[in-house]
Amino acid sequence: MKVQPSAFIVEKRPLLLRLRDALCGAFDYASVLAEDTTGKYYRVSRHSVSVDEGDTARGFVVKALDKGRYAEYSFSDLTAETIPAVVDAVRALLAADLRPAGLEGRAYAPPAEEPTVFSGATDYDIDPASLGDGEILDRLAALRDRGLAMDEAVLDFIAWMSWQRYTKLFLSRDKDMTQSVMFVTGGVTAAARKDQEVKQAYLPCSGLGGMELMERMEANVAPCVRTALELTHSESMIPGTYECICDPETTGMIVHEAFGHGVEMDMFVKDRAQAPQFIGKYVASPLVTMHDGACSAEQTATYFFDDEGTPAHDTVVIDKGVLKTGISDLQSALTLGTEPTGNGRRESFARKAYTRMTNTWFEPGQDKLEDMIASVKYGMYLECPSSGMEDPKNWGIQCMVDIAREIKDGKLTGRIFSPVVLTGYVPDLLKSITAMSDGAQLSGTGYCGKGHKEWVKVSDGGPYIKATIRLG
Amino acid sequence: MEKILSALDALGAEQYVITEKHTDSLETFYVKKALDLTRRADTAVTSVRVFRPFEKDGAKMLGEAEATVRPGMGEAEIRSVLERAWYAAQFAANPWYPLPAGVKEPAKADKGGFAGKPLAESMKAMTAALFAADTADDVFLNSAELFMRRRTTHVVTSQGADVSWEQYDVWGEYVCQCPAPVDVETYHQFNYRDPETDALTADAAHALALTRARAQAAAAPRTGTYSLVLDREQMRTLMGYYVGRSGAGMIYQKYSPFRLGENVHGPDAKGGLTMTLAATEPYTGFGAPMADLPLLDNGVLRAIHGGPRFAHYLGVAPTGEYRAVAMPAGTVPRSQLLAEPCLHAVSFSDFQMDPLSGHFGGELRLGFLYENGTVTPVTGGSVSGSILDCHDRMTFSAERYRSAVYDGPLAVRIEGVQVAGA
Repeated sequence: MKVQPSAFIVEKRPLLLRLRDALCGAFDYASVLAEDTTGKYYRVSRHSVSVDEGDTARGFVVKALDKGRYAEYSFSDLTAETIPAVVDAVRALLAADLRPAGLEGRAYAPPAEEPTVFSGATDYDIDPASLGDGEILDRLAALRDRGLAMDEAVLDFIAWMSWQRYTKLFLSRDKDMTQSVMFVTGGVTAAARKDQEVKQAYLPCSGLGGMELMERMEANVAPCVRTALELTHSESMIPGTYECICDPETTGMIVHEAFGHGVEMDMFVKDRAQAPQFIGKYVASPLVTMHDGACSAEQTATYFFDDEGTPAHDTVVIDKGVLKTGISDLQSALTLGTEPTGNGRRESFARKAYTRMTNTWFEPGQDKLEDMIASVKYGMYLECPSSGMEDPKNWGIQCMVDIAREIKDGKLTGRIFSPVVLTGYVPDLLKSITAMSDGAQLSGTGYCGKGHKEWVKVSDGGPYIKATIRLG
Repeated sequence: MEKILSALDALGAEQYVITEKHTDSLETFYVKKALDLTRRADTAVTSVRVFRPFEKDGAKMLGEAEATVRPGMGEAEIRSVLERAWYAAQFAANPWYPLPAGVKEPAKADKGGFAGKPLAESMKAMTAALFAADTADDVFLNSAELFMRRRTTHVVTSQGADVSWEQYDVWGEYVCQCPAPVDVETYHQFNYRDPETDALTADAAHALALTRARAQAAAAPRTGTYSLVLDREQMRTLMGYYVGRSGAGMIYQKYSPFRLGENVHGPDAKGGLTMTLAATEPYTGFGAPMADLPLLDNGVLRAIHGGPRFAHYLGVAPTGEYRAVAMPAGTVPRSQLLAEPCLHAVSFSDFQMDPLSGHFGGELRLGFLYENGTVTPVTGGSVSGSILDCHDRMTFSAERYRSAVYDGPLAVRIEGVQVAGA
């Protein structure tokens, strides 16, 4: 079934067309984005049950260009009577005296737009509303009970899931685009005590679609509990550089944090990335081909057009080890003289658009995981990444991973280290990749920030990879 | 508000918390010294939390769910979203707890230096303060984002609360760049409730100086165990261990072993940290007055903080949510904390503290290695430690540092921390 468009957006559409016309009459360029995002978040644990709205938003943002200068105005409601006030608010912003002496203003030409009329929606099998809150919480409670019953050493077992459905309408002089999208995320977390510490294992689940995802969560309960119990015997990491096998989630974090942020082209505009100097050069092993794009995979960051009305792309960022291009929002493309790639994304209507990743991943290779492990003389198998931080200017990498399993003479020894910090110079790490497994998996339960804010839904992943990495 | 109250009455929802928030935010985005974009966000949203008492298996329960009411919603749509929340609340079956009483008071106006001034005027002054530090040729502001906000909050509850307040602040981020000898950058954030122009200029000057030092840092420190000195924003992150573990939810759910009246550093510890949770809002989310909360006294836990549910389960009074920490200064001058050998870590990619495990660490973007009579800038590698292992090996500076979320010692020296480096 197709996701139905928001009744709110449908009702407001005539007003939005009038607003678009008023803005286009007043300024050199103007666009309107309307957003209606609904959702729910369910969570059960040993001591708590909750249901909340999750990340929802409803409102509008207009962007206008006049005499080379851009301004944006975000607001929550629109009526026929407030249309002139919106135009006046934008005019006031464009005329505002905000720059102290000595600071200048950047000048832009209007974007060239292809006339586009589009309406699209993603598919789902099971509507969250058809299941109902009680059924969803009952199913999560059943997962929790199974997890808690597995071992009395389990301190807590958390099962959560959320769905999010949004409709966006983008209007400019030449574009009239509507999309309706739904995705679901979920996960299970098992906690166990190790002296004064609490160790947690987490297995995520996510996808484009509806509540059919819940069935996939069942299989994660037992492995999650087993891993949490294993972590109670973990040791502190011995700092050093190791041959490592990364699971697809850890690969995803490396793809995203290590390289993805470095090819966001608003960073090129600011001279905050090394990547422009490496276009056409080897930055990774010839085994590596990297994609980003809202239509490059079906996951939580899949959409038909971005928040600036640019159609979704499948951008090949690295092709067999050679850096080909970056990813771009519209305003950065105007500055750089390049084509936007459908990566202009906002946290919500209330926030600015930046160049943001979508579904970011490495293509699979041809190796078998068991052969990859068998090839390691002494090293670590890394899994359960928890967070990462970018450093596009200096291509440093920081990824926090919860589990490093010791490999000795090609076999897992059962010895576990936790937590682990991955660091290094990104091209060194990517060039050290010597094997990639024959399947890729993407995961999209997380959000990506720009620095420490502007959270948007992304997915990332790839195959198991073998690389040389500094761990601490 | 009247439409919401009427719909709640029709549902028979007798317990609720209604929170109206309005934000007017003026925003500017700079690339080098050029204004790239001007934004204004004038947004409003109302959250309605409904609480539904019921019995399950003979036990008294209280379910809770949330609805969001948005400007422009008609009566029918408001009724619909509240009905859905009321329906959902019966499934969020948690043991019953009482909702805290609130107060009814006149609206509180912000008394800070931004209050009453046009946002544009304050924006211009704070922008000038930031760029006043940007005077050198070899190191400069690469980019900056400034957000000048006026926010109003109105809380009405079924338990008698009717309070509202306004808050002005400026927050933002900036990136410093030093192109030679190695082209590097550093990232910084700020947040002020008053027009502290001198403080912003000084912070930016400090940040630019650090960036110049990072450009000189050629190598990572050697792998090994170090006396580590942390300072400024890392102090609040580090202290997050004690704040996290003293939360009612963490204690009730047995994630935290902290107990009222016991020393958080362990049963055999003598003395320890003194810490107060500082109120940054005048009222709690339930419309009760919010005050500073003494948390630790020489290592002994004096309070548990958290919302009404877990507080009731633990038999303690509910508090509001705290994000700011205040601590007395230490006794050792910072210069002595930097006695060699030590690694002074001034900037991380993302310094983290996990209250569950006590682990802290991050990738080192800039540090200074004090050894053999020299001070060497270093970059790269990672710091990794556990506060459980080193809480009795922490020495705090006599100098103070203050930010929107921290007021306490400028720096701490921690003995025996692992560094993965060259």
